[in-house]
Amino acid sequence: MQFDLIFTMKIRERNCSARSLAEVISGRDIKCCIIKRMFNRTLARKFFAAGLLVFAVTLAVLLCRQFSLAPARPSPEFRAFGPKNATIQIYEYTDFSCPACKAAETHVMKILEVYRGSVRVNFKHYPLPTIHPWSFQAAAYADCAGAQGRFMEYAALLFENQEQWAFAKSKPAQFASFAAELKLDLPALESCAAAPETARRVKLDISEGDLRGVNATPTFFINGKRAVGGTQFLDQAKKFDNLLNKNR
Amino acid sequence: MNEETRTKDIIGLLARLLAGGIFIYAGFLKAVAPAEEFAYAIETYKVVPAGPAMFAALTVPWIELYLGVFLAAGVFTDLAALAAGAMLLGFEGLLLQAMIRKLPVTSCGCFGASMHNSLGYEFFQNLLFLAAAALAWKYGGRFSIDSTLEQHG
Repeated sequence: MQFDLIFTMKIRERNCSARSLAEVISGRDIKCCIIKRMFNRTLARKFFAAGLLVFAVTLAVLLCRQFSLAPARPSPEFRAFGPKNATIQIYEYTDFSCPACKAAETHVMKILEVYRGSVRVNFKHYPLPTIHPWSFQAAAYADCAGAQGRFMEYAALLFENQEQWAFAKSKPAQFASFAAELKLDLPALESCAAAPETARRVKLDISEGDLRGVNATPTFFINGKRAVGGTQFLDQAKKFDNLLNKNR
Repeated sequence: MNEETRTKDIIGLLARLLAGGIFIYAGFLKAVAPAEEFAYAIETYKVVPAGPAMFAALTVPWIELYLGVFLAAGVFTDLAALAAGAMLLGFEGLLLQAMIRKLPVTSCGCFGASMHNSLGYEFFQNLLFLAAAALAWKYGGRFSIDSTLEQHG
């Protein structure tokens, strides 16, 4: 060890009879008290420096989490819309059972249409099962519809008919009827929706939302800037023209 | 100071910065991402069950971060280099057993979800980092907070 080496050398220099660092620390050899004091002081300073570094790094990481400075995880391809290299990158955390999300979705679709080619929307699940009992399952079904290439259509049906299924007493029949309407492979959809892998993907979105400080839906991150609700989203959308002009 | 010593000191410094930088980068990417993501990567190695994998996912990124900062700054350099080397050896063991068992590991979890290199690539890359950690341990004493504090002790 570096300490051992350094202090063994210093002990030798001073003709100290202590043969090991342990003896020096235990104070058995009175001649080594100077070395002991020096060792303690240097060690204490190193611990202090280490403590400062730990504090600074912890603070930096927590701030990065708080201000969403971490690189965002892209959504799976079936729920990401627009070119990958679009100037405006939107991450949308949504709950299919939430009325505010339903209202905001109209704006999002319009923005995607108006700024086609310049905007990419990464759809993220943030179901709130404590207040919306079927939201988690709805997210799973939507993802499985996505696996069959119909995420957007299935999501649109979930939003349009939200009142019919969101507070159902038992598992909503609409999950299957929407699939039939879109001519999806229902057995495959059912088994996919029940698969742990699907639940894991939804949970991962929730955890990511938690890390980014999402606590209401819909929450948007537009080029890293947060907007909560449809009104704030539209406020930021008003700046899109300027943003695109600047990047031209 | 002779030329050879100076070269070794510079090699030690560079090795410290490389190994430390890698640990900071890997730890940061995982610490700011959902722990579940890294836990899933750990689970795919089929060495530990879900519970311990989650615990590892919550702790390993922070350990990497702190070790990286200690190495780069040169605080408790020897211990940090040894610990980093031990961690890298552990990672190598995990990668090797996954390669031998032909496990379908899609993301090694080394740098969060942002990189998807093959297990073989990660294995050889880790050998390079292991060499850097060894050099940092052997020659990394100079140009460090440790040496500054010892000189003014």
